[in-house]
Amino acid sequence: MERNKKESPAQPEWNKRWSESYPDLGTEPLSIEPYISDEYFEDEKEHVFSNVWIHVGRVEEIPAPGDFFVRDLDVPNVSVLIVRGKDGVLRGFHNVCAHRCNKLVNKPHGNNAGRFSCKFHGWTYSLDGRLIGLPDREQFHGIVDSEYGLTPISMDIWEGFIFINASPEPKETLQEFMGKIGEGLVGYPFGEMECCFAWRAEVNCNWKLAIDGFQEAYHVAFTHNLSVSDKLSSAGNRLNHPLAVVLDKYHRKLSLGANRSTVYGNPLAAIGADQSTVVKAKKPIEEAAFRFGSASLKNMAEKFKLDSLPAGMNPANADNWLFDINAMFPEFYLSMRPNYYHAYNFRPVSANKTIFEARSYFPKATKASGRFYQEYMKCVLRDVVLEDWGMAEQVQRGLSTRAKTHMVLQEHEICVRHLNKVTDRYIQSNRGSLNQTKENA
Amino acid sequence: MTMLPSQFSHLEHLAQYWSLATETERNAKRMASSMEEIHAFADTLLPHLETIFSYLDEFDLSAMPEDALRLLYLTLSLAEVAPAIESYNQPAVIDGMDSRRYQAQEEFVLQPRP
Repeated sequence: MERNKKESPAQPEWNKRWSESYPDLGTEPLSIEPYISDEYFEDEKEHVFSNVWIHVGRVEEIPAPGDFFVRDLDVPNVSVLIVRGKDGVLRGFHNVCAHRCNKLVNKPHGNNAGRFSCKFHGWTYSLDGRLIGLPDREQFHGIVDSEYGLTPISMDIWEGFIFINASPEPKETLQEFMGKIGEGLVGYPFGEMECCFAWRAEVNCNWKLAIDGFQEAYHVAFTHNLSVSDKLSSAGNRLNHPLAVVLDKYHRKLSLGANRSTVYGNPLAAIGADQSTVVKAKKPIEEAAFRFGSASLKNMAEKFKLDSLPAGMNPANADNWLFDINAMFPEFYLSMRPNYYHAYNFRPVSANKTIFEARSYFPKATKASGRFYQEYMKCVLRDVVLEDWGMAEQVQRGLSTRAKTHMVLQEHEICVRHLNKVTDRYIQSNRGSLNQTKENA
Repeated sequence: MTMLPSQFSHLEHLAQYWSLATETERNAKRMASSMEEIHAFADTLLPHLETIFSYLDEFDLSAMPEDALRLLYLTLSLAEVAPAIESYNQPAVIDGMDSRRYQAQEEFVLQPRP
């Protein structure tokens, strides 16, 4: 997709007041209750997570007929079986046997030659969910096979990402739900980033607090002072004010610049293109990673060009752009550079516990030197995330003491405010329509 | 038994400790090592990277002989200890979550091998 060229690239205004563009969000301090209250968490479970689209994986994970994966979620409380049928079509089911409701498939992923059999009493289902085997059938009382297949779960695909919805009749299609921010990412070469590193961690904090640490850059100079802050900040923008903030009905985007004269901060350095502006790193392993990476990944320069990114990326059209954070409501997160991206889920467990599932997608390296570069990037970024989690658990501890009733947000923390407001609005709106339904009944 | 291709015999003494196949093992080795051990490893390996990758890049990554793979794993351990040397000056992330709680999903189907 060709990016719409603007006549003259708009230079970022570091001190732009985003709150003036989004006056309905207000500027008042935020109550801490939504981060610690069990009652509020119950509302989120009932009104938000039972109704929204939730990312569970990518189509590349199950390329062949019979390939499947299982995702067990706490909130919403579902076990999901995603399977590619003999006809090549992906289908989603509740991973629950129709007989006595055993969890049907226990393996996290695999390939089943045409059928799933329940370990409990041997009930067997085809890849498209039909009941095809029922031991001791004659002892049952009038079973109609067609009524005892697997229960389908609402499932749809956006740009190769598989989403489920716990509601049998979602209020919005996935397409509608992804909105303008989703639309602006269409065409990014997600499918060409076939090499993925994945992690899982249980973090002792609220799911919104978990996301908050990844949707503002004010903390970078402090929390990440030893690791990446010098690559992200530049003269005149020491505290990482964003290049752009885009807030939609549900989702939000934070666009960030970098110090292009560092190897980390130059998105072209690692694909062998435009090495001219890159200053050699003072750190020898970092320098080696980029030197070997650049040479090895040169063939990617053609594929991953800054000027052919989807229109929604680098919305300020800034010369020193590095990456965009796309925080998709409620808890899916895409942080995107031209030549790699991270896909995170912050899955709620309770008011103060979240399961973080991280995936970092790179193009497949074909040579050892390219693989070394990716390992370097992976380890640096992983350690940066460990810095974030150390902080998040401390913040949750602080909130839980109720020493303060509110948190104060500055201009560039507006995404934190947006997530809170959208969550609140979603709860109110869903509660409203439920009450309406009850009254009508 | 030799672990590495014969022309890298001068690195054999590193291989038995640092030639590890998974991120989980490499991170555990980093956390269990002193900074003296980490520096000794990195300082020995760094000057040979040019020769190492000239040799390794002759192979396709998906079809490497075992001894070449073990040499690659040594370089991946170098990537693993980079933050310890170049950011934290200690094995673990400062004020970070314990890395043992942050589990690499080594069995994930899209995970590159090696």
